[in-house]
Amino acid sequence: MDINVIQNLKNQAISGILQAKTPDELERLRINYIGRKGEISSLMKELPGLPEEERQQIGRFLNDAKKAIEESIARQQQTISNRPTERQWLDVTQSGRTGKIGHFHPTSIVINEMFEIFKHLGFSVMEGPEIETDEFNFEKLNLPKDHPARSLQDALYIKEPEIVLRTHTSSVEARVLSELKAPFRIVVAGKCYRYENVNASNNAMFYQFQGVALQKGLSMADLKGTLSYFAKSFFGKNRQVRFRCKYYPEVEPGGGLDLDCPFCHQKGCSVCKDRGWIEMLGCGMIHPNILKEFSYNPKEISGYAFGMGLDRLVMDRFGINDIRSLYNGDITYENSH
Amino acid sequence: MKIPISWLKDYVNVPRDLSVLTDKLTMAGHLLDKTEEGNGGAVIDLELRGNRADCYSILGVAKEVAALFKTAVKYPSLHPKLKRVSLLKECQNTIKTPLVKRVMMIVLKDVKITDSPNWIKQRLIAYGIPPINNIVDLTNYVMVELGEPMHAFDLDQIGPKIEIRLAKNGEKMTTFLGQTITLTSDDLVWANSKSPLSIAGAIGEKYHSISEKTNNILVEAANYDRANIRRSIRRHNLMTDAGIRHEKDLDPNLVEEAIRRFLQIIKENNWGKIENCVFDYYPSPVKPWIVRLDYAKLESLGGLKVDKKVAEKILHRLNFVIKEESNSGIKVLCPTYRTDVTLEEDLIEEILRVYGYDKIPPKTLSLEIPTIITPDYINQEAKIRDALVGLGFDEAISFPFIKEKNWRYNQLLDNQPGQSVNITNPPSPDIEKMRMTLLPNLLDFAQRVINERGQRLMFFEIGKVYYKKKNKYYEKRKLGLIYWEKDKQNFLQFKGLLESLLTKINLEGIHLKEADNIPFLTNQYQLYQNKNVVGQGGQFNNIFYAEIDLNSILGKEKKPVAHLWPKFPPIIEDLSLELPPQTLIGEVLQSIKSVSPVIWSVELIDTFKDTKTVRITYQNPRKTLADKEVKEIRNKIIEAIEKQFRAQLKA
Repeated sequence: MDINVIQNLKNQAISGILQAKTPDELERLRINYIGRKGEISSLMKELPGLPEEERQQIGRFLNDAKKAIEESIARQQQTISNRPTERQWLDVTQSGRTGKIGHFHPTSIVINEMFEIFKHLGFSVMEGPEIETDEFNFEKLNLPKDHPARSLQDALYIKEPEIVLRTHTSSVEARVLSELKAPFRIVVAGKCYRYENVNASNNAMFYQFQGVALQKGLSMADLKGTLSYFAKSFFGKNRQVRFRCKYYPEVEPGGGLDLDCPFCHQKGCSVCKDRGWIEMLGCGMIHPNILKEFSYNPKEISGYAFGMGLDRLVMDRFGINDIRSLYNGDITYENSH
Repeated sequence: MKIPISWLKDYVNVPRDLSVLTDKLTMAGHLLDKTEEGNGGAVIDLELRGNRADCYSILGVAKEVAALFKTAVKYPSLHPKLKRVSLLKECQNTIKTPLVKRVMMIVLKDVKITDSPNWIKQRLIAYGIPPINNIVDLTNYVMVELGEPMHAFDLDQIGPKIEIRLAKNGEKMTTFLGQTITLTSDDLVWANSKSPLSIAGAIGEKYHSISEKTNNILVEAANYDRANIRRSIRRHNLMTDAGIRHEKDLDPNLVEEAIRRFLQIIKENNWGKIENCVFDYYPSPVKPWIVRLDYAKLESLGGLKVDKKVAEKILHRLNFVIKEESNSGIKVLCPTYRTDVTLEEDLIEEILRVYGYDKIPPKTLSLEIPTIITPDYINQEAKIRDALVGLGFDEAISFPFIKEKNWRYNQLLDNQPGQSVNITNPPSPDIEKMRMTLLPNLLDFAQRVINERGQRLMFFEIGKVYYKKKNKYYEKRKLGLIYWEKDKQNFLQFKGLLESLLTKINLEGIHLKEADNIPFLTNQYQLYQNKNVVGQGGQFNNIFYAEIDLNSILGKEKKPVAHLWPKFPPIIEDLSLELPPQTLIGEVLQSIKSVSPVIWSVELIDTFKDTKTVRITYQNPRKTLADKEVKEIRNKIIEAIEKQFRAQLKA
């Protein structure tokens, strides 16, 4: 009798047992292999006719095989009975039980995204005081008293005329120019205040985002490159930008960056007033009068600055129509898990 | 400013496709607001630049168009120059202040007052000024055409002697629109011996203006100190067409052009007899000035190379005159109407804006990246924000003012002396007092959630509070945390959140001490780090609140360390202690912990009346502890708490 036949029979039996899914199947397999007329049992019946030496060896093999098959059946019976019955089904569509989820304020989300982009370009993040002097909010920024550009920025006064709530983040530009040593690149995002009759699109407090760089050799090309990189990173690489001449007393030459109107794809609509472009930010090379104000020689060093309102961007991004909603407790995260 | 295209075409050729015109104007600094189709054809509305007084006129815009499209300007015809005199026999003008830079006046006699011809009327309507009569309309027409405001008086009404002076405080004048204005000593006026005739540069008086009965007129054009005019028009809210021009840097030489243009149209229409001399007061005549341009600077600031010849042609088209030329640069004579160009950088912008900002190449990495200098407090705020959102808190940003209804809560929670910072010109009472604590706004936000079917709220705000002390102003960065849960008033839940935050930001040694200095909070406490107060907290009804001063904990964080499983087994035992009533368990635990560095942790695991069970873990990182060693420490613990708290160990 060949030992290999016994080995194969054993393997065959065990693989059949492992695939069995019901007790009935197992019972069939048991009868088939080790039942009274099963294949192993039949071979055992042949043992007495074998020579003495062979009989002992084959006998051991057959007993081992029988034992292994019995154990496999017992194990598989266990496995089958451990499966959940149909009565214990799990509804996987039930709501999970979560802890409370926290959320960032929309304005924080936008500010963070902007900071991340500018950090790639070597910018540091800065802040400055909100209660400012007229000197740092206006005078030192080439905005002397009675300058026409001041009409656009009616201030909230703490003490007339010398203490104001900053009307723009340019005041931080004045602060860094007076306190930091060149070269530096900084961005600021912060609260600004103006005398406004509060309505859906104007608030007495709003956020501005400002950047200032001061370094020997900076040019309009660096300014344009930085702002294009930012615009493409923040708004999407397929958006179009337009860099044009614009007047701000704080810069010379001055510029403005416009973004293609996403609502009409530059065909003209009420949002862009049929211009096809939406004004995004003001920028330019730091005015030589300002550099001189902070004891820099405009012939030796140059810098650029840019600034934009943040709230409009936040409102567009999050589908909010009323600027007041951003900071008056209207925002809820109850439905935004 | 509205520019009727048919009017503009008088002076310059305009591209047939208007968008070509407006695109180029926009790129060069004159943003198109909108294009309108009016009765007399298209009108473009431009957002003009505040520093270009010369562009607040059709001719000024025409000059820009000519330079941008390389075409010529057709100038309007002017009356021949008249003899200048310093005294008119019909009307003597005494100028009493240096705020007047130039005045020209001329007398017209036997003036025919009629309706203006249609072409003048239509143009004024298209621009946005209603026509009145030929003389008033003509002053307006010349103002819009050339940019110099003018004014006409009824000569017989004003009398033979007038003056330009500062008004007296309280002096009154009624404008031709019927509004009575109380003047201040900072308002510049034209006046006769009796009363003011006009607020200089802004608006005329009622009884001396031109009417159907007028026979003889005095016409003036002038140039004033723009800051003074600006103060007056803002003080009295007189944003008239004249005012918005006079508040800018107008060219005093424009005064003469305006007078001559005015006379030319009078003559062409035969509207009156022109006297043969003109009054001219012009103590310091302005002549073209020199500005130097260095080509290297043009390249280094502009970020591109503009061919010298091209640059010079651009300046020439803008009416700058090249006076001197060298390899390195040029000296340029600026036309006096370009009051905005005084520096090299101004000339560079002139060249670039005509050459095209779109031709500047974008660069990002042309220079070395400076060192990162973001201050620690900014990173601190970012870390706290991340930690709190991770713990389930929602971030709030509130208006940094305290609403009128909450003024009683506006105080510094740390009880330091300080007054609220107040706005002197508040748009409303709710925007008058700046916050001294983040509490009232967060309470309002919380109340909103409670009212709107909320189950639980967890808010935080990182923001400043503001106060005044001894006439100095302070801004302090605070973290406000607010927590409420429906039908549950669980201080330990809130304290647990607070502790989780501190663990996340690696802040150790914070403990709470009972306090009672804030009148509107119950169950108050102060947060200490070691011996310093770093914050306050308490309960408002069933809402929990804590406020931490961020500067007080700045830089106090421990450096994060990675811990490994100890190699030797700990010994853990529970001790039941009988404590006198109201013993602060926090102090007991702290006291046990400080007995030996081998005490790894001490936790309260069970409370039954005044019996507290604490679990102590002993662990020596360098060896296995022997029972004998633990016994010694245990005895020290018992000794310490007996002495300090009169605690008894229960068997």
